[in-house]
Amino acid sequence: MISKTLTLLRKELIDASRDKRSVLAGLYYAIGTPLIMCGLFMVLINQLSSPDDLPIKITNADTAPDLVRYLGQKGINNDTGEQAEKIQLIISDDYAKQMAQGKSAEVIIVADNSEEQLQKSIRRLQLALQNYSMEMGSLRLLARGIDPRVLRPLQVELHDQATQDSKGGMIMGIAIFTMLYSVFISGMNLAIDTSAGERERNSLGLLLSHPVTTGQLVLSKLLAVTAFAMLGLVLILAISHFAYPMVPWPELGFSITITPSFMATVLVIGLPVAMLAASLQLFVSFMAKTFKEAQSYLTMVMFIPLALAMSASYNIAPDVLKWLPVSGQQGALMEVIKGKALPLQELLISSGATLAITLLLALALTRMLRSEKVVFGL
Amino acid sequence: MINVSNISKKIGKVQALDDLSFSAEDGMITGLLGPNGAGKTTCLRTIFGLLKPDSGNAEIDGIDVAKHPVAAKAKLGLFPDPFGLYERLTPREYIQYFAKLSGMNSSDAKQATAAVLSKLRMDDIADRRCKGFSQGQRMKTALAQAIVHQPTNIILDEPTRGLDVMSTRVLRDLLLDLKHQGHCVLFSSHVMQEVAALCDRVIVMANGKVAAIGSPQELCQRTGQDSLEEAFIQLIGTDEGIAA
Repeated sequence: MISKTLTLLRKELIDASRDKRSVLAGLYYAIGTPLIMCGLFMVLINQLSSPDDLPIKITNADTAPDLVRYLGQKGINNDTGEQAEKIQLIISDDYAKQMAQGKSAEVIIVADNSEEQLQKSIRRLQLALQNYSMEMGSLRLLARGIDPRVLRPLQVELHDQATQDSKGGMIMGIAIFTMLYSVFISGMNLAIDTSAGERERNSLGLLLSHPVTTGQLVLSKLLAVTAFAMLGLVLILAISHFAYPMVPWPELGFSITITPSFMATVLVIGLPVAMLAASLQLFVSFMAKTFKEAQSYLTMVMFIPLALAMSASYNIAPDVLKWLPVSGQQGALMEVIKGKALPLQELLISSGATLAITLLLALALTRMLRSEKVVFGL
Repeated sequence: MINVSNISKKIGKVQALDDLSFSAEDGMITGLLGPNGAGKTTCLRTIFGLLKPDSGNAEIDGIDVAKHPVAAKAKLGLFPDPFGLYERLTPREYIQYFAKLSGMNSSDAKQATAAVLSKLRMDDIADRRCKGFSQGQRMKTALAQAIVHQPTNIILDEPTRGLDVMSTRVLRDLLLDLKHQGHCVLFSSHVMQEVAALCDRVIVMANGKVAAIGSPQELCQRTGQDSLEEAFIQLIGTDEGIAA
């Protein structure tokens, strides 16, 4: 019994490893995705973060030397050039006079607030100006013999409990999703080739004419596709391990580090998902009559895990997703990468559900292959 | 020995097999002769348990295919139509794979594969991938697959289609060889010459039924014709779908 399954499995793996289409599909995704993600994050970070030295154009700078000096200490410098033109600070002509008289002096920020790249820089300038204003106000009160605290009845302090890593949930969600989804991509071509392809090449009938049970056949195909799926996962983890450190995470206030222990966790948690992916893809492909038909069915079916995993990375996701296949694993891995404890109960249930669906699909496949309609595509 | 009793099978709306009964003995070549669409392939697939008959049953060496499919299939070798080659495997890998699936252990399968490869004079192509093989090379690979595990019963579906003279000879010699070794050889064909030259017994099929059974000579005598071709046409009542 077992030796025949092994013979079948060995042949599936040899055959698949010689199939360029099957191998490359997994490779492209596993190698390409982390690199594209890293590239995207780098661009994103550059866009969102304000540069250390923020050049702005200050009009009438000589009327407010103290303010300009203060801004300079905060890294905001009076400059010329294209970059500086984007944010302008106009100091009113009567600034010095108003300040000297203890009145409000007008400063105007001119910038395009809809430009995302500028938003952080604008906020930084506003904050600097507010702080300067408060300092000046306090000095004025002191000069009049009043405790500046009179004007601050509330002292608001925020103790941010978010660990560094728990902040970028969305970005982490995407990063983990790309890893988990690799089990769906990497084995897909093999799943089609070994089912719809096998029938299209007329070898399925021949195979079933030999003294093997459909159970052995399904098991070997399932294992072969799972092996490919896991190979894709190993590959994408390895590439991510080297690619993610290149992203300047501290700018975002959190970081994604793919440690060996995290990699091991992903592999263990990903295994049931890989088996589910394999059985689902084989099931759908055997329903289709041709290779092409299988491909188009699968692209549709693959939206389900995509939707599940993606919605799990949003905070608005309903709680039930924690217990479901794919989204449960996605959620658990996100907790882990945020440095929190593994939600064991949820993970066990969602993994159990994953394996149960896999088993059901495998049993259905075993039955299907006994049907002459499926075998000959009647 | 293959025994088919009272098999009926409907595919879609077509009555592909209609109360079909015959047997193929060991040490004999039995030909399943019929025009295109007579139900030959359906019949062979039913013997392999790939199609389930609506009624009746098929037995291989006394084992009911429907009840014990694995045991029955272990006694069969199939040369299918179409061949069903794995283009990315070499003939050696392909033949060895099916030898193991038929129940041989690794070392036996290896030996048997080497033996059958040299028997069919395939050593020059044994380690080339099947992709791009000629029809003759494909035929040999499929044939080697069918006989590598020395099954008692060998079933061939339209074995001579698309073969040149040399390949046909290889096939013919091999079938005679198998017969002399005491195997039961059952093949389907719509080529008269083949059947007349090789078969000890001919089962003439038309519309899913047995039209006549006998040796080529008997069929000629029974119909009073000189050639099997004329006898055949008289037996099935039409010359549609026949190759001379």
